[in-house]
Amino acid sequence: MNSATDGLGTKAKTPERPRAIDTVRAGLARRYARERRFRFFGWLAVVVSFVFVAALFASIIASGHQAIWQTRIGLEVDFDPQVIDPEGKRDPAVLSAADYGGLVKRALASVFPEVTARADKRALSDLLSSGAAFELRKKVLEDPGVVGTKQTLWVTASDNVDMLMKGYAERDATGAAAGLQAKQVAWIDRLIQRGQIEKRFNSTFFTGGDSREPELSGIWGATVGSFYTLLVTLFLSFPIGVSAAIYLEEFARKSRWTDLIEVNINNLAAVPSIVFGLLGLAVFINFIGLPRSAPLVGGIVLALMTLPVIIVASRAALKAVPPSIRDGALGIGASKVQTVFHHVVPLAMPGMLTGTIIGMARALGETAPLLMIGMVAFIADTPGGVMDPATGLPVQIYLWADSPERAFMERTSAAIMVLLVFMVLMNSVAIVLRKRFERRW
Amino acid sequence: METVIEKQQVLQRSVPETTIESLKPKVAIDREDRRTVGDLFVKNPRMTCRKVDVYYGDKQAIRDVSLDIGANEVIAMIGPSGCGKSTFIRCLNRMNDTVEGCRVTGEIRLDETDIYDKRMDVVPLRAQVGMVFQKPNPFPKSIFENIAYGVRIHGLANDKTDLEEIVQHSLERAGLWTEVKDRLPQPGTGLSGGQQQRLCIARTIAVNPEVILMDEPCSALDPIATAKIEDLMDELRQKFTIAIVTHSMQQAARVSQRTAYFHLGDLIEVGETDQVFTNPLHPLTEDYITGRFG
Repeated sequence: MNSATDGLGTKAKTPERPRAIDTVRAGLARRYARERRFRFFGWLAVVVSFVFVAALFASIIASGHQAIWQTRIGLEVDFDPQVIDPEGKRDPAVLSAADYGGLVKRALASVFPEVTARADKRALSDLLSSGAAFELRKKVLEDPGVVGTKQTLWVTASDNVDMLMKGYAERDATGAAAGLQAKQVAWIDRLIQRGQIEKRFNSTFFTGGDSREPELSGIWGATVGSFYTLLVTLFLSFPIGVSAAIYLEEFARKSRWTDLIEVNINNLAAVPSIVFGLLGLAVFINFIGLPRSAPLVGGIVLALMTLPVIIVASRAALKAVPPSIRDGALGIGASKVQTVFHHVVPLAMPGMLTGTIIGMARALGETAPLLMIGMVAFIADTPGGVMDPATGLPVQIYLWADSPERAFMERTSAAIMVLLVFMVLMNSVAIVLRKRFERRW
Repeated sequence: METVIEKQQVLQRSVPETTIESLKPKVAIDREDRRTVGDLFVKNPRMTCRKVDVYYGDKQAIRDVSLDIGANEVIAMIGPSGCGKSTFIRCLNRMNDTVEGCRVTGEIRLDETDIYDKRMDVVPLRAQVGMVFQKPNPFPKSIFENIAYGVRIHGLANDKTDLEEIVQHSLERAGLWTEVKDRLPQPGTGLSGGQQQRLCIARTIAVNPEVILMDEPCSALDPIATAKIEDLMDELRQKFTIAIVTHSMQQAARVSQRTAYFHLGDLIEVGETDQVFTNPLHPLTEDYITGRFG
């Protein structure tokens, strides 16, 4: 009864309310101001991140774009049969054992006949890369017919010459530049005058392996190493990750165990990658005895690292398949396995593939675990399989970044560009897959 | 008449056997009484349910439901939202198995086979008791594949021509053939809502089930599509037994021979549709069909 009177009393006391539309209008300005503020901050966030990405790309391209050019010196080489093939049998063993270094030196000396002192001759031949002799040999082995002729050959210059030509090395008061004596710089100037020195397309960078000489080093070996590593990663992590996701999402009954597994998959995703490297070192190399520096071990370790990413993405993709599809299949008598593999998995596949590719792109850029299992070793050969010693692209970048030669710096940036191109490609494939196989239901 | 209904008095209730007209005035049933009244049992049942309880976790969704579904009849389940009619119908082909934490006790038999027996295989059960869902859910495949899928997994077609025949026949029976015969390779999801639902019905009848469960099949459809599906049900009744859940009392009255009224997990009343709608025994049923709630 009390409450009834109270209720009546309050009702009577209620003050006259203003018209609702007036209150709404009064508050509009504040509402829109808040919206504008939010839009501004959002726009600012986009601009800031875009500026950072642009700055990153600009700095890498600025310091790396010259690596696609390599300075070469044009020499008229006399393929003297007396030196190359005294017996004239064109025996490949004899041809490949000949003194091509001497031929190169002779060719260069003929350009500068006034250089006679022993030390000066050495300084002169230092303008050329140690790889120049191999280029001659390659030429002869490809076509033994050149023996006995004179050919103009553009041979690789040394990295110091390359740096000077690309404008990275400053000449000091005496005329010397970084790594080059004043007289060497003078010789280069004369070569420039005579048009015998040029920057040409640097095919070595894209086809060669690692080298101690910057001008002879390339990323092909590391690229192949990364390819084998990712191949192993893909073949392990995709089937295992997808099966685990399908089992956990579609078949496993919810229990404390599945909860525990779920928590630990998420934990695994957060484990620092170097820890996976330690695991690989301890288990796969020390305990199981797999070879060090091998893409096989790298691939297994990266697969362990990628698994949680794939599992989480695949489970999300499976969850996104509407239950009505499962009901429809079960309702006409499809078994659980048929329902899952005929209907649910095909619909979830784009999501699973996207997750896998993003996981693979992460694995491609991963360095730390590879350091732990020895893929950081200096390996000049291109690996021929998953058991061969190899490095990967990111490790190659790390190794070159560590080298003192100035010429390795631009190669570091160039290798980063190549790595970024691969990343962008993989992510684009992921986007295309998602768009292409996206189905509506 | 397909469904000869045997008048039985249920669960200790003593409703005197008499004409329907005389039933109501004579026996006043207490509004709070949740025991089932009416004609639960039929002479030639396809499915028999006895003392069925369904729990979702700790929550009981259905209490003590006993009901027969006769051969070649359409039985309609009506009742307000959340009354358990969908839950009940999903028990009949064990679709509730897929719901986490769902537990069914009691006994449901299909032709004397206990479908909740441990040795029962749900795959042949669901081939025998097909289901059409509330929301049209065609597979995101071609129209042809939608129908052919069930036939194929059960191995019902001898060869490709046979399969094509079954597909055509099923679409014809579902009244969809003339509309889709020129676009069989196109995706089933591109059809209109009503066509999709008839596609789902065609998909269900393609595997030749004996009982078809329909969970509010017309709730997402317009009146014209609804009318088509209702006509279809009437025709399908010649061959199949149909249990349909519906929110529309007019629909129940139009298509069904028997009607079961559910209320908050209890089966309140079962009877011939005419009787339930013109002369309900239970006050709750009367409230519902006269629109006092629900």
